[in-house]
Amino acid sequence: MSTETQTTPPAPATGSAQANASTDANGAILSIRNLKKYFPITQGIIFQKKVADVKAVDGISFDVKPGETLGLVGESGCGKSTTGRTILQLYRPTEGSVLFEGKDLATLKGEELRKMRSNMQMIFQDPYASLNPRMTVGDIIAEPLEVHNIAKGKEKKERVQELLQVVGLNPYFINRYPHEFSGGQRQRIGIARALAVNPDFIVCDEPISALDVSIQAQIVNLLEELQERFGLTYLFIAHDLSVVRHISDRIAVMYLGKIVELTDGHTLYANPLHPYTRALLSAVPIPDPLIEEKRERIILVGDVPSPVNPPKGCRFHTRCPLAIPICKEVAPEWRDVGNGHFVECHVV
Amino acid sequence: MGNILLDVRNLRTEFATQDGVVHAVNGVTFHLEEGETLGLVGESGSGKSVSMLTVMRLIPMPPGRIASGEVLFQGQDLLKLGDEEMRQIRGNKIAMVFQDPMTSLNPVLTIGTQITEALELHLGMNKDKARKRAAELLKMVNIPEAERRLDDYPHQFSGGMRQRVMIAMGLSCSPQLLIADEPTTALDVTIQAQITDIVKRLKNELGMSIIWITHDLGVIAGLADRINVMYSGYIVETAPVKELFANPLHPYTVGLLGSIPRLDEGRREKLTPIEGLPPDLVNLPTGCPFYDRCKFRTEKCLQENPPLMSVGVKHWSACWHYEAVREQRDAILGRKFMQPAAA
Amino acid sequence: MNPRPAWKETWRRFARNKPALLGLLIIALLLFTALFAPLLAPYDFSKTNLDNVEKPPSAEHLLGTDALGRDMLSRIIYGARSVVFVIIVVATISLTFGLLLGAMAGYFGGLSDTLISRLIDFLFAFPDLLFIFFIAATIKPGIVTQLRTIALANQWPWLTEFVRSGYADYLVVIISLSLLGWAGLARLVRGQILALREKEFVLSAQLVGVSNWRIITRYLLPNSLAPILVAISMGLGGIALSEGILAYLGIGLQPPNPSWGIILSDHVVRYWRTWPEMIWMIFIPFIIMAAVVFAFNFVGDGLNEALNPELQ
Ligand SMILES: Nc1ncnc2c1ncn2[C@@H]1O[C@H](COP(=O)(O)OP(=O)(O)OP(=O)(O)O)[C@@H](O)[C@H]1O
Ligand SMILES: Nc1ncnc2c1ncn2[C@@H]1O[C@H](COP(=O)(O)OP(=O)(O)OP(=O)(O)O)[C@@H](O)[C@H]1O
Ligand code: SF4
Ligand SMILES: [Mg+2]
Ligand SMILES: [Mg+2]
Repeated sequence: MSTETQTTPPAPATGSAQANASTDANGAILSIRNLKKYFPITQGIIFQKKVADVKAVDGISFDVKPGETLGLVGESGCGKSTTGRTILQLYRPTEGSVLFEGKDLATLKGEELRKMRSNMQMIFQDPYASLNPRMTVGDIIAEPLEVHNIAKGKEKKERVQELLQVVGLNPYFINRYPHEFSGGQRQRIGIARALAVNPDFIVCDEPISALDVSIQAQIVNLLEELQERFGLTYLFIAHDLSVVRHISDRIAVMYLGKIVELTDGHTLYANPLHPYTRALLSAVPIPDPLIEEKRERIILVGDVPSPVNPPKGCRFHTRCPLAIPICKEVAPEWRDVGNGHFVECHVV
Repeated sequence: MGNILLDVRNLRTEFATQDGVVHAVNGVTFHLEEGETLGLVGESGSGKSVSMLTVMRLIPMPPGRIASGEVLFQGQDLLKLGDEEMRQIRGNKIAMVFQDPMTSLNPVLTIGTQITEALELHLGMNKDKARKRAAELLKMVNIPEAERRLDDYPHQFSGGMRQRVMIAMGLSCSPQLLIADEPTTALDVTIQAQITDIVKRLKNELGMSIIWITHDLGVIAGLADRINVMYSGYIVETAPVKELFANPLHPYTVGLLGSIPRLDEGRREKLTPIEGLPPDLVNLPTGCPFYDRCKFRTEKCLQENPPLMSVGVKHWSACWHYEAVREQRDAILGRKFMQPAAA
Repeated sequence: MNPRPAWKETWRRFARNKPALLGLLIIALLLFTALFAPLLAPYDFSKTNLDNVEKPPSAEHLLGTDALGRDMLSRIIYGARSVVFVIIVVATISLTFGLLLGAMAGYFGGLSDTLISRLIDFLFAFPDLLFIFFIAATIKPGIVTQLRTIALANQWPWLTEFVRSGYADYLVVIISLSLLGWAGLARLVRGQILALREKEFVLSAQLVGVSNWRIITRYLLPNSLAPILVAISMGLGGIALSEGILAYLGIGLQPPNPSWGIILSDHVVRYWRTWPEMIWMIFIPFIIMAAVVFAFNFVGDGLNEALNPELQ
């Protein structure tokens, strides 16, 4: 379909993130433009007709640079997972484009899409639901190798054992079933499977939320090591801002289907512009009683509105401590306030 | 503060399962003063919930069994009370709030009915009075239009509101002790902030004691006066909150602090995880339960399980090598721990 | 924890359940009996002996004789054939349709789901017995005549024999029964697949580029196998029972072919008045039929536990 014939050789991984991925004109590996994903709500017994939409993702735009980690935070139900899944075409976008290494994934279908898939992978939240319980660990990790004809026979087995080692598991585990492993170990198996196809880009959808505190750090470290070793690019989704701050170069804050602020981690922490970001930052507890004693919290009133009927104007105006009359009427624009610091708010 | 409200001694709870006896709580001893907030932290399976359910006598028996111990509440051993007397204490003097606000409310009764039921039962209020009080309680936990919302069903409330309703119900009989089992774990941080805010305010207004179970050191840092750290059914360290964070003296506590990223720390090079997994509660080691994962271990740790030893003012640690921990923790975590403020 | 083949592990868990093992034994016995009925039966099941009627169990006739002096044991042994015949036909047909259509509806969704689901709803709303009466009264005679003509035209003795034996009539009725029977299974399969389709491990398969066919056969069906097998096993008990009911209603296997349902219905009518005399005439076929129905349920139960390690 495309005129480009980029066959990316599996370049040797470099420590610096100048990764093995090709980029587009902006120097981005992934460019999202005005991405929307609506889930229809249907009614009727014989003939289903659409009565409304869940506007899970409602027009977001951002770039991901090769080798970086872009963090995506926001509260439950704000559309983080939907964003990740729509980028990977597990859900087809309602509108907008997903340019990955220069190709618009939203227009790809069938075999072409299947081929592209070896460049993008996902690590899932629930280590108990993300592995097929009826397959052995060896088969789980070997499957991508078979599907994409990467390796066969003895070579395949060696590659599987190598991958197990890479994620810190004993290669001897190859014949075991997922239920014989702890949550942290399963997450490692899922990571090995994702790595099997040599992806450039991985969406990590809350990869540590389901794990115990003492295990979370193991997985975070592993993800960081792998990024360095293989020059990976991550979209790291989480609701825990502390973890996102730790692992991300830049952070996008999402609220009710929209990204409201996007900038590098330090700026976001030191100079948050959007009132929602500020409230979110102030609500994150810091494990230090001396700091907690002195902190001022911005307590938001009420709950997140429904994504079926998001508020008119700025979506945050119903809970915003700084709202002015225009916020109720006109949706603010997504703009760059300098140095790649994007924000969507009338007040800043 | 000062008077001892709850005094738990040598509590052991076990469960008979197909794989053998699960030793969930292994000789836990602690106390709680009036007006004090005690944090109970530890990872999944460390026995936080089971120890508190034992205090409340809510362990399913069988398979559960309280193997030993005393639970002195205002001087009275709860483990020796009859079922009816215990029921009077639950909900009246001790209230409990659970993690899942979804399943703790009866979906077919209105919120109002569920709150007034307790008031009528325990405090003998009449219908009108109970309803008025119920509305007051909802206001107390910041539920808007409290009066009207009494007639709503649980599904008409959001998760955070349901948890606040649960707290309101817990407080309905003005208990002396509120046990909160991870009440904010399932909620978003902004909602968590709403709830911890309310709890802090109510604690001051009502002067009750709180035991707050969590695995989140961040939440507990801002809430508790004192913290018990649990690991595989043991309390391995206990100290006033500032002392614990400034001067952790058990390798597990140090490990936990090294495992969590902090919002105010920025992009750090590496976290310092605790390697390995917690021990199997069916085959607990005879020595220190943390031995497998410990950086300070020696032969002695393998032989003998360390008891809680006094290591400072109101500060106990169950580690033979707490002195070594004090010396080496800075190097291990690449972070400066302050010396404890003079108590 | 040693790595152990999955089926061995499953068998170990299954074998822990004693009633399930007993059920399996009964089913094995049933199959064996059906297969080797001519060798096992001590007498000709249809040979009457009016000098020796309604005899209680004895060394000669282990289960006694009936009102025409026929050997009960032999009749029961041949009756097993009828039960097994029904079970095999119904299970094969409903399984094929149920799995295929259920999986399609669940996985592809959209129009195929709408059509299949409506069909399922329609079949569910239709009373089974009414449908069978209808078939038996209208289509069946036509088909049987047709079969007979074909047999004559082609000189196929086996088909002639089949039609003459009364099994052909029976087959028509049973096929119509299974055309209704798949609906329940398809609904179950569809529900299972629908629930699994959004599971993260299925998404992960899509991401890795696994084909639709492989996703259905390696991810969706194996993971919905447990409830499906359980449902089938429990369902077979019901089918065994409906064999009896059809015979009882006179539209199943035709006399003099022995069927447990025929034996039971004959005997219930004849002997309940003389209670408790000759009560074994009712109890023996009854107990055997009940044993088979329970056997399938026990096995279903055992499978349920064995296939769901999560349940322990
Ligand atoms: N397959 C689907 N069909 C219909 N609605 C959906 C579907 N997936 C998600 N939604 C809805 O879209 C919205 C966004 O969901 P999403 O899972 O993306 O949120 P999230 O930010 O990942 O939340 P969480 O932190 O809870 O994982 C929610 O309101 C959700 O109910
Ligand atoms: N009813 C039960 N039967 C058998 N074992 C049980 C039962 N209840 C709890 N246990 C076991 O007791 C141990 C302690 O469990 P507990 O619920 O107290 O952990 P926790 O510290 O509260 O963990 P979490 O953070 O996951 O809530 C666990 O190993 C658990 O499996
Ligand atoms: S007693 Fe020994 S093994 Fe246990 S925590 Fe202390 S040093 Fe480690
Ligand atoms: Mg999500
Ligand atoms: Mg618990």
